[in-house]
Amino acid sequence: MGIDGEEALLQRKQSTYLSLDETFEIRKETYRGQQYSQIYFARLHLMRTLLYSLVPNWKPSLPVCTVLELEGGKECIIVGTLYKHMKLKPSILDEYSKERSATPLVKPHNFMHPDDHLVLEDESGRVKLSGTMLLPSAYVTGLVVALHGKETVAGDFLVLEILEAGLAPQIELPLKSREDKYVVLVSGLSIGSSTSNPLQFQLLVDHITGHLGDEKQQDTAAQIVHVVIAGNSVEIPHGLLNNLASKDQSSHSDPIQELDILLTQIAAGVPLDIMPGVNDPANFSLPQQALNRCLFPGSAAYNTFRSCTNPHCFELDNIRFLGTSGQNIDDLQKYSEAKDQLEFMERTLKWRHLAPTAPNTLGKN
Amino acid sequence: MNGNNNNRRKRPPSTPAPHQPPPSKQQAATPNIEDEFLDEDVFLDETLLPEDEESLILRDIEQRQAFTSRLSKWARPPLSAAYVAQSQNIIFQQLDIDYVIGESHRELLPHSSGPAAIIRMFGVTREGRSVCCNVHGFEPYFYISCPPGMGPDDISRFHKILEGRMREANKNNRVPQFVRRIEMVQKRSIMYYQQQQSQPFLKIVVALPTVVASCRGILDRGIQIDGFGMKSFMTYESNVLFALRFMVDCNIVGGNWIEVPAGKYKKSAKIFSYCQLEFDCLYSELISYHPEGEYSKMAPFRILSFDIECAGRKGHFPEPTHDPVIQVANLVTLQGENQPFIRNVMTLKSCSPIVGVDVMSFDSEREVLLSWRDFIREVDPDIIIGYNICKFDLPYLIERAQTLGIAEFPMLGRIRNSRVRVKDTTFSSRQLGTRESKEVTVEGRVQFDLLQVMQRDYKLSSYSLNSVSAHFLSEQKEDVHHSIISDLQNGNAETRRRLAVYCLKDAYLPQRLLDKLMFIFNYVEMARVTGVPISFLLSRGQSIKVLSQLLRKAKQKDLVIPNVKHAGSEQGTYEGATVSLTHPYFQSEVLEARAGFYEKPIATLDFASLYPSIMMAYNLCYSTLVIPEDARKLNLPPECVNKTPSGEIFVKTNLQKGILPEILEELLAARKRAKADLKEAKDPFEKAVLDGRQLALKISANSVYGFTGATVGQLPCIEISSSVTSYGRQMIEHTKKLVEDKFTTLGGYEHNAEVIYGDTDSVMVQFGVPTVEEAMNLGREAADYISGTFIKPIKLEFEKVYYPYLLISKKRYAGLFWTNPKKFDKMDTKGIETVRRDNCLLVKNLVTECLHKILIDRDVPGAIQYVKNTISDLLMNRMDLSLLVITKGLTKTGDDYEVKAAHVELAERMRKRDAATAPNVGDRVPYVIIKAAKGAKAYERSEDPIYVLENNIPIDTQYYLDNQIAKPILRIFEPILKNASQELLQGSHTRSISIITPANSGIMKFAKKKLTCIGCKTLISDGTLCPHCKGREAELYCKTVSHVSELEELFGRLWTQCQECQGSLHQDVLCTSRDCPIFYRRKKAQKDMAEAMRQLDRWNF
Repeated sequence: MGIDGEEALLQRKQSTYLSLDETFEIRKETYRGQQYSQIYFARLHLMRTLLYSLVPNWKPSLPVCTVLELEGGKECIIVGTLYKHMKLKPSILDEYSKERSATPLVKPHNFMHPDDHLVLEDESGRVKLSGTMLLPSAYVTGLVVALHGKETVAGDFLVLEILEAGLAPQIELPLKSREDKYVVLVSGLSIGSSTSNPLQFQLLVDHITGHLGDEKQQDTAAQIVHVVIAGNSVEIPHGLLNNLASKDQSSHSDPIQELDILLTQIAAGVPLDIMPGVNDPANFSLPQQALNRCLFPGSAAYNTFRSCTNPHCFELDNIRFLGTSGQNIDDLQKYSEAKDQLEFMERTLKWRHLAPTAPNTLGKN
Repeated sequence: MNGNNNNRRKRPPSTPAPHQPPPSKQQAATPNIEDEFLDEDVFLDETLLPEDEESLILRDIEQRQAFTSRLSKWARPPLSAAYVAQSQNIIFQQLDIDYVIGESHRELLPHSSGPAAIIRMFGVTREGRSVCCNVHGFEPYFYISCPPGMGPDDISRFHKILEGRMREANKNNRVPQFVRRIEMVQKRSIMYYQQQQSQPFLKIVVALPTVVASCRGILDRGIQIDGFGMKSFMTYESNVLFALRFMVDCNIVGGNWIEVPAGKYKKSAKIFSYCQLEFDCLYSELISYHPEGEYSKMAPFRILSFDIECAGRKGHFPEPTHDPVIQVANLVTLQGENQPFIRNVMTLKSCSPIVGVDVMSFDSEREVLLSWRDFIREVDPDIIIGYNICKFDLPYLIERAQTLGIAEFPMLGRIRNSRVRVKDTTFSSRQLGTRESKEVTVEGRVQFDLLQVMQRDYKLSSYSLNSVSAHFLSEQKEDVHHSIISDLQNGNAETRRRLAVYCLKDAYLPQRLLDKLMFIFNYVEMARVTGVPISFLLSRGQSIKVLSQLLRKAKQKDLVIPNVKHAGSEQGTYEGATVSLTHPYFQSEVLEARAGFYEKPIATLDFASLYPSIMMAYNLCYSTLVIPEDARKLNLPPECVNKTPSGEIFVKTNLQKGILPEILEELLAARKRAKADLKEAKDPFEKAVLDGRQLALKISANSVYGFTGATVGQLPCIEISSSVTSYGRQMIEHTKKLVEDKFTTLGGYEHNAEVIYGDTDSVMVQFGVPTVEEAMNLGREAADYISGTFIKPIKLEFEKVYYPYLLISKKRYAGLFWTNPKKFDKMDTKGIETVRRDNCLLVKNLVTECLHKILIDRDVPGAIQYVKNTISDLLMNRMDLSLLVITKGLTKTGDDYEVKAAHVELAERMRKRDAATAPNVGDRVPYVIIKAAKGAKAYERSEDPIYVLENNIPIDTQYYLDNQIAKPILRIFEPILKNASQELLQGSHTRSISIITPANSGIMKFAKKKLTCIGCKTLISDGTLCPHCKGREAELYCKTVSHVSELEELFGRLWTQCQECQGSLHQDVLCTSRDCPIFYRRKKAQKDMAEAMRQLDRWNF
């Protein structure tokens, strides 16, 4: 195939690219038995400094306390990590429960229960939160917030008002030239699954590379400056990897080979970022590290091909992009409620935390 | 917050002595404190303080004042004016009764002098004031039978002789008169049926309770009386504990309410106790309330739950002679409240603050101990609880104080200047075996060790606080190994805080268990029903409870109980219904079990309270037993006696109503009433009381039979117990015969009924009908019909249907339990490896799952497949190690075991490896069986699971298959499958075996490790893959990374669970609880993660 020679050659637009993935890369980090507490500890310190700086504008007259310094009836502000106590949250201990119930529980997609309640924790201790201001259904474990309230007789902390970290300062958008440029975001290609259709993917590739459609469409395609594949590119049936003899296994890298072939076509024309997702051959916990280049012998030969981390952050023509392959939002959906996915995403911005539930629940099926 | 201020508090080596008074200003400011000082320091040997330390003393007093004022806010509410003026009747719930020897009270007892026994009752009023009631005038006594022809003159002569002999035997005693008086009374012995109603007995009243024993000795051996010659006497009721004697005679039962009217009591001239109300009164003025209505309630007594932490040395369990007490956590709860009102922790060295907890830090261990003592005194708990406090915490504190030379520490009781004593005791019982224990007497405070209670009341696979709370509270507790405790202590204020949080949790769990299992209600009710003090319930066996009831009943009937001497141990106790005597009649009445898998409903007919009913129906008692010679002599008409199947003769009620049947009738009637009241009751506390009572009544009724059968008990009577069992056996057989005769096709029923099994008090019948409902109807019909043929109150009841029912052998079965025809209640198993402690978890899970599949899913092929898969997984090494861990308690050191045992050998080996973490006596030792050289004994193949994990040691899967799984599985499947053994244990699924190569044992120790290709294990010099495998790079990478991914997921689930358990996100998980089901998995995940990450890193070149 080639572009019709009679037409004027369409030139693909260019843009400057800057990867900001460095923060998500784990380098030279060996596992020596670290636990999760350090993550929470670091998070609390980082967010607390931020929240403390906001408090004087929020409630200038109120004292700021730690959980330990609470006194009954005294109004104050406390900052700490939220912990949501959930009745239905699955526990690995249940696998060992003494008596198997006669009627097995149907595995719910959402573990919310009306009895759920929130607890605020800092290094000095925990306090149970009460009051109607703070709805447990909207919050999750791992968030750092500032609370205005007072300790009740029962020893709870009656929440009167909540301060979240809020939106981060906006970077001014350098949209001076009125030129259109496009970034293609795609995910869930799931090559190798029963539902994936090779034809559709090929159409996508052809569209991006400008092999499809009329002149107008090709013109649009020429304005695509970047492609991001945000996770779940392949689907390797779970559990098969370990149990079969090695000779059967080569068939399971077939989806990856197929992916590589298609990606090579894209990478030849457009800069391409690929992020790992929950089903991809990458590590499990966030941040997921970049897919190994040895998986893509074909496309890795192009310098336009970049294997990235999840979450992934980059700048194109000084416009910043930050995204994940969606595990964080899926997890929020299991452990909290909102009217739609977008609201969850909005919350992560307002909380100023991309994946608050990691590592508590994020990282569990 | 205020915890921080105390860090620098100093206490001089000794508290200020009376002869070295601090400046008067301070003294005037704190008169009360100084008063206490004077009193408590009476025993101190003082060390003089240098002059320049006077300022230190001043500061100490200031700080002590701060500490005292902190303590004082926890003191009991002050007395009301009416109490102070003594114008109010004092009503209190007594919790502990003991006695002391003191001078007779001059005012109350003007006519006596010299030493006398003073009963002390400790209790709490309705308003929560503590009471110490000194009861005067009650004298110890016992009976002997009066020799025929003895007149009043003979008695006074006898009195003189006895007094003389007593004086001879007790030369050094300053008692003015040993035998106070001898009275002639009309009584009758409880033993054997007698026609005459009463005989003369002599009641010998003595000066002191201790005199009873020596007096009894003299009378036992014989005494020369003029006109009667040398005569030895059988004594009656001479072995009754004095406190119990008092309670019986004054109608006081354990934990009931006592009233002393105003004007009848006198404020004690000298105050002996720390109680708010201390007074003297006469025993005859006491009003004892029957625990009913208003008086069935509980006073708001104070319950202290505490736990201590000691810094052990590496490799040793903490010993009081070496290792300091570093923390004491205390929680005090008022009975009836659901939250403790005091939470504090006393720490050695600084400790960061804890929310809601008063943290008190001290610089020396001496201060920790003394502050704890001050705390106990100020808070004045009525009940002290904890986990293993009797054997560990309390003795440790006392022995530690001894080592440190703090003479003033062990004054923890309610009596001023009285030290707590520790003595070693052994408690032996058929039920519990012999236990060595320590008895710590804390006067006036009841100790309630939850560990003892658990061991008494529940059969559990492990009694660690962790597994007990997992079992009852469904909570895993983090467990800090004692070797880590020292590290935490030697860290900083934060690490000590960590330890304090843990210590507090350990103090809180006993309280939660107490509440959850309603021990206070159940034990107080048990004390009320049986009439013994609460403290007896834990420290003594069953027999004292029956004896107490027998004494009370005998007193009403003017009967006296002989003191039967028996060979063997004096301390012999017995256990309820499981008397294992060799006499054939004592063997449990079990009909042959027809093993099989029954897919038709099986109705169960139960005898309600069989043994008590038999005793009532046939009037079996000490007082109705006719001894063979009397049977001939008395020539009783046959219609007035019952001859039991074991050949004994008892008279019927028309001649003489037995005492035991009467006690039983009352117990069962009371239980019926309690159950009826329970239905009516609304108030949760009232409900708890009533439920506790009905339970206590049931247990008491059932223990009467055991009392008669205890050969080394208080009053054994084999004639009664063998008659009971022989009747029982007869009844089971009678029932079987009636069922199989009546329910036949000839009798007009659809099917022939078949009795498939009969237990001690139940009969299982297959009526042949296909539905649960029909089986229930026939069951009810059969129960009514057969009950009609028995003497009342023996009653056969229909209770439940098993459907389906898997009968394995006698005392081993499983089935679905139905009490209504619509839905089954639960799966009921008996004698099957679902709860046995010496099996690994794999067996338990396998058995449970199989039963579930067989009984509930009705999927026998599924169950078979499941067994096969499990066995295959086991042999293929795919089994999670935690499922294979076997745990056994290490009760003594290796040399003391006669037979070599796996866990003991392992403990020895671990000690050689690293003494610090090796298990000690008292610990439970977890182990797995590993592959070893051919011919190695099983005990040589035990290994620490952690060691196995770390060193990749292969597991002996065949051992698990043959010695753990095989038997239980075959037992279940044999009634179902024809050739179960072949099918399950030798099928094709057992052919594929994989064994991991040991990483660093045997010859591998000498092997050099070289880089290999991840794909084919060929040796390579660098990189990841050999040239040959390069083509499969992507595939091999996928494999590696997916392994990491799976482990990460597992790791995440495990560790976040542990964070949840410990209740904190910001602190590291420290727990090393080997009882926790995920402990080994967590460890393994951690190790595997590290390994997998290393593998993955090789790809990043």
